[in-house]
Amino acid sequence: MRTLRTAVPVLALAALAAAGCFLISGQFVVNHALPTPLTVVSGATLAGTDVDLNTSSSYTDHKDKLKRVEDLALTGDFHNNTPTAATVDVWLVKSAALNLSLAQVQAQGTRLWGPLTVAGNTTESVDWDRSAKLFVGRQALIDEIQGDGHFSLYVIAGGSFNLTLTDGMVIAVIGAAN
Amino acid sequence: MRRILGLTLAAMALSAGTAVAGGVSVGAFGGMSLPIVQEDQGNGSLYGVRVPVQIVPLARVEGFWSTSALGDKTVDVGGISQTRTGSDVTTFGVNGILTMGGFYPFAGIGSAKFKRDGVEDTFTSYHFGLGFNIPLAPKFSVDLRGELQAAVKDGTSRKMGNLTLGVSYDILTMP
Repeated sequence: MRTLRTAVPVLALAALAAAGCFLISGQFVVNHALPTPLTVVSGATLAGTDVDLNTSSSYTDHKDKLKRVEDLALTGDFHNNTPTAATVDVWLVKSAALNLSLAQVQAQGTRLWGPLTVAGNTTESVDWDRSAKLFVGRQALIDEIQGDGHFSLYVIAGGSFNLTLTDGMVIAVIGAAN
Repeated sequence: MRRILGLTLAAMALSAGTAVAGGVSVGAFGGMSLPIVQEDQGNGSLYGVRVPVQIVPLARVEGFWSTSALGDKTVDVGGISQTRTGSDVTTFGVNGILTMGGFYPFAGIGSAKFKRDGVEDTFTSYHFGLGFNIPLAPKFSVDLRGELQAAVKDGTSRKMGNLTLGVSYDILTMP
């Protein structure tokens, strides 16, 4: 009986010990605003955009305690400036190189997100929920967030394209603990 | 995690066999789940079922299953509001309970699955709390519980404060 009486507190302490310092932890939203409007046009070189999460205080405050990346989003309004439907993808380049050709983006980068179909001369608004379902290279972005937090993104589409991204945002939810 | 759960469930089954001096109840509960230090989840509802087994006069074990729908969270990012739909959380596991009159402390372990658009993740779930039992009739009682749930993975956790009200019915009582 005495053993059983102490079982629950002992179990509780054991669980606490097994879980480490999990009580001093939380989930924090990190965001990076992309240039707005961001117009990308097919050509010899593409306009990549620099993303440096170290400019986000939420990221720098928790970077050394970062344990995992729990959620990701790339939000904004994608407008197709041509009359032909566009299938939009976003690629991530770890080196943060800008002004790469399409071949270089595909050789050096990882397809991160897409496809998003945007009909001719229309706008597709992508919110957090919709965006979360469009990730195809989630691990590449997780690696960057857990790495130096500095990379470049390329918004591209098949064939000839002319797109404008307004209010673009990279959002990540990070789990941090002491 | 599966090994711990398996051992605990086996122990529970064995203890039930040796504990006919106690009893078995079934219960249902509902309440609120309040995320703690989670910038991407809002308050939500919670409900579930539990099967407490009285193994000796001062100790109970109970298996439980619960589901909660955490609330949406709108965050202002760079001057633009973005709303994320809250996760649906399904948890099952086992609690150990010390029965000391009306009040009782409990602790438990289980598995919690968080699911929302584009994200599905399973965590080891730890539970600590305090309950209060009010007998209503010979076989019926009401339970009020406050609980800290910590869903742990990769050295961090999603924490929730759960407040529930439940009813239990004794299906087997032994002297």
